[in-house]
Amino acid sequence: MEIVIHIVTVLVVLFVVLNIAAGLIWVERRLLALWQDRYGPNRVGPLGLMQVAADTIKLFFKEDWVPPFADKGVFILAPAIVMLTVLMSFTVLPFAPGMQITDLNIGLLFVLAMSSLGVYSVVLGGWSSDNKYSLLGGLRAAAQMLGYEVFMGLALMGVVLMAGSFSLRAIVDAQSKMWFIVPQFVGFVLFLIAGAAEMRRLPFDIPEAESELVAGFHSEYSGMKFGMFFVGEYVGVVLISALISILFLGGWHGPLLPPIVWFLIKMFAFIAFFILLRAGLPRPRFDQLMSWGWKIMLPLALANLLVTGAIVLAVK
Amino acid sequence: MDAVWPIGLYFVLVVLLIGAMLVGSYVLGQRHDDRATGSPYEGGIVSEGSARVRFSARYYLIAMFFVVFDLEAVFIFSWAVAAKEVGWPGYWEIVIFIGVLVATLAYLWRLGALDWSGEPRRRREGKAMPQKL
Amino acid sequence: MSTAVANTTILSELQDKFGAGSIVPQETRDHIPTFWAPRDQIHDIVRHLKSGVPSPYKMLYDLTAIDERVRTHRDGEPGSDFTLIYHLLSFERNEYIRIKAALKSDDLHVKTITNVWPSANWYEREVWDMFGIVFDGHPHLARILMPRTWVGHPLRKDHPARATEMGPFRLPDQKQDEEQEALRFRPEEWGMKRSSEDTDFIFLNIGPQHPGTHGVLRIVLQLDGEEIVDCVPEIGFHHRGAEKMGERQSWHTYIPYTDRIDYLGGVMNNLAYLTAVEKLAGIEPPPRAQVIRVMLSELFRIISHLVWYGTFAQDVGQLSPVFYTFNDRERAFGIIEAICGARMHPNWFRIGGVAQDLPQGWDSMIRDFIKYLPPRLIEYDKEIMRNRIFKARTQGVGAYSAEECIEWGVTGPNLRACGFEWDFRKKQPYSVYDQFQFDIPTAQHGDCYDRAAVRVEEMRQSLRIIEQCVNNMPAGSYKSLQPLSAPPLKPDNTMHDIETLITHFLGVSWGPVIPPGEALGAIEATKGNNGYYLISDGSTVSYRTRIRTPSFPHMQTLPNLCRGLMVSDLLAILGSIDFVLADIDR
Repeated sequence: MEIVIHIVTVLVVLFVVLNIAAGLIWVERRLLALWQDRYGPNRVGPLGLMQVAADTIKLFFKEDWVPPFADKGVFILAPAIVMLTVLMSFTVLPFAPGMQITDLNIGLLFVLAMSSLGVYSVVLGGWSSDNKYSLLGGLRAAAQMLGYEVFMGLALMGVVLMAGSFSLRAIVDAQSKMWFIVPQFVGFVLFLIAGAAEMRRLPFDIPEAESELVAGFHSEYSGMKFGMFFVGEYVGVVLISALISILFLGGWHGPLLPPIVWFLIKMFAFIAFFILLRAGLPRPRFDQLMSWGWKIMLPLALANLLVTGAIVLAVK
Repeated sequence: MDAVWPIGLYFVLVVLLIGAMLVGSYVLGQRHDDRATGSPYEGGIVSEGSARVRFSARYYLIAMFFVVFDLEAVFIFSWAVAAKEVGWPGYWEIVIFIGVLVATLAYLWRLGALDWSGEPRRRREGKAMPQKL
Repeated sequence: MSTAVANTTILSELQDKFGAGSIVPQETRDHIPTFWAPRDQIHDIVRHLKSGVPSPYKMLYDLTAIDERVRTHRDGEPGSDFTLIYHLLSFERNEYIRIKAALKSDDLHVKTITNVWPSANWYEREVWDMFGIVFDGHPHLARILMPRTWVGHPLRKDHPARATEMGPFRLPDQKQDEEQEALRFRPEEWGMKRSSEDTDFIFLNIGPQHPGTHGVLRIVLQLDGEEIVDCVPEIGFHHRGAEKMGERQSWHTYIPYTDRIDYLGGVMNNLAYLTAVEKLAGIEPPPRAQVIRVMLSELFRIISHLVWYGTFAQDVGQLSPVFYTFNDRERAFGIIEAICGARMHPNWFRIGGVAQDLPQGWDSMIRDFIKYLPPRLIEYDKEIMRNRIFKARTQGVGAYSAEECIEWGVTGPNLRACGFEWDFRKKQPYSVYDQFQFDIPTAQHGDCYDRAAVRVEEMRQSLRIIEQCVNNMPAGSYKSLQPLSAPPLKPDNTMHDIETLITHFLGVSWGPVIPPGEALGAIEATKGNNGYYLISDGSTVSYRTRIRTPSFPHMQTLPNLCRGLMVSDLLAILGSIDFVLADIDR
């Protein structure tokens, strides 16, 4: 019986995550349109809801082109990596009590590891394309990753320190009285920035930079392989929003409403926030992002950690 | 801790999904072969030189710092999770450790190793232009 | 400008230095001091004018040529097959000077002046491309507007002007390959190395098909990683032969072609062209026509700046403003459409006035717009100009000084961003600009941010001018009654006596016959100084139509601005200098 529950959970999580990501494409396009004084997709199905389905079908029938000049194996592997790593992170996320595939005691480290691996897809995709725009995109992705990855993990250590565990369920449990966003506000801001950079979304879409590198690392991708980068990005938005809800906003905790509803409310609030970021901000240069990362964020993260440690020990 | 095998199952499902997407588009997608199909996109101009080049060592330098610092970060991770158990002695040890890290960072900063090029050219000088020439 | 005095002083200065016999003055319709000089002395004369005379001529305003071989009216001019024309501009004198050199067909050589003005580089290439005149000592005398594979020199009178004179165009595979191969960038041609000691340079083509170049512009970058070592802008992909077409369209029917030079500037281009034509024809449009012209030109300045504003923000990665500014632009186009009937290219000014009188209700539309735009501009200030990331991306990036600008022929907002308050509307008022009150915005640093700040403020000043137009629109006719205005108005007795009827008929069907002569009409267009240098041979068409556009020299300065910076900076710089490709290539 327990096995069946496990299997059902696995299927439900995968299904729901993929559908949210797909729906997110519609949400983002409609929200962006709303903020930009235009309509967005509104022709396919009611309110344009079937636009995503139409796009998916189109992508399947697009030419599945592998450039003859590319490093073929790596070229095909790159989009697979992004899908794989970003989807794997969901295995350790607690959505609500009992609604989790597995609670690893190193859950947070697992998520961080997966997100680091995800960068490979961009770097490899850019490198294997043997296109100069893609190469620059790949280099930018690598440089950008070096800029935020250092402080991303450290920004979360305050949370770990207070919860005393890497287990995400334990972290949520530790927030039953107070959400970590209050004592760990600095960590929250740092992680928000790192998260946006992790997803490579505006303002941190530096590796693809439409107006500069013409899609950068995926210039040469077409059809479903391009679609996988695309889906990967949207699943990434879901992932980071879910993570922030879990780590800083008490996950499923909240009055009156069922836990899962609370979780979804928080997650979608952050999804909308990330879309708003995209609508509002210009893009820094990658060297600026790097130097902000090393010179401001990293010292801040370290200071935050030391202060948190001292307070936690003093209170104890 | 829960059973780990569901992760394995999930992994298999994701791999199957990705495989299905790749194979599906390979089978369904159209094919064409025109005169310029096999050349990389570069603004519509025939490419000069390859994208396989030796590029600036600066990238490697930053990558090196990153590896060093990220490795150090792992030590901090292990302290963070056990901070309550190791208490104040552990705290002071990590203060010293982070102090060394910060000193290194400050050194690199002063050395200019964290600056990308082009900064001098971007400095904004408060030069006042003569109104009449 | 007291022309006669300037004429004599500069003439005597030149004659003292270079010999009385060698400098020959010529009278022109526009009263710009014009001198013929021997070819061999041209280099020394322009160098002297740049640095040797008091209040020197610091800017090379334009450099072009004329194929004189089939010209009939050359009263008092030295004989020549080809004539080189150097237009220089002195800011202290607030005056142009025109130096001409006669060349013979069998010896089309002249010494380059690229060592006097680096900006002569592209102009001389253009003259070589169009006329086949060789500039000895030029660092890179290659075709610039025409394809490298082109045979012949298009602006020569014996070169066909129409596709029908050349046989049908075909592009077989082999020819396509040759053309592609000719476009391939060869670093050695430009004196570039392929690698330094420890890195290989990447040679990257940005464009002609690229979302960041605002059109079919090609920029070849020599990159060390992401750092720009050097850069070569390649133009000509948008070349449509506008100058050649001027030689076969009547004075009147050429107006719609001008709309498409700076295609964001609409009727502003008409104004530049007509300023020159009306100088030749001696027409003074009635006050109402003048004010309508000013009003619509300023409206188009706003329209052009709105496009620039949104796309510039997009160039640095901000997605939304472009939608807002384009919406505003649509509103302005609503007014343009109501008045002119068309939107982007109204083709609405006429020789001697404008096409029609203003429609009923035009003033309330404009008043609405004057109320509508300022709050929007404040909002954009918050969203764009005060955005921290935007500042980080643009401040200190791509700066030049006023001296460099003048050296390179930069005019307009880009020049004013360096703190040099020079606006042709104020300094050399054309039309009726001297009757309006407005300020000339300037900035101090000459970088991307300041170029933006100047343009944003210019929109507000344009609104001021438009408001004055609405409040003080004179009554009267919208077009001059002079017989050379086109299409001519019907005098009351047109249908009663045969003489006036025939004159009117010819004026309508052939278009006006403009008396022989030459004139330069230059205005402060949306992007800088736009000048039309027209030569009439006493016929219904122009003998030579030279279009001096601001974007051409602006694009030539690009390598100076972006060396040592990164690819991202290049896009910010491109956005900030505000060019359109049609304005570069014509």
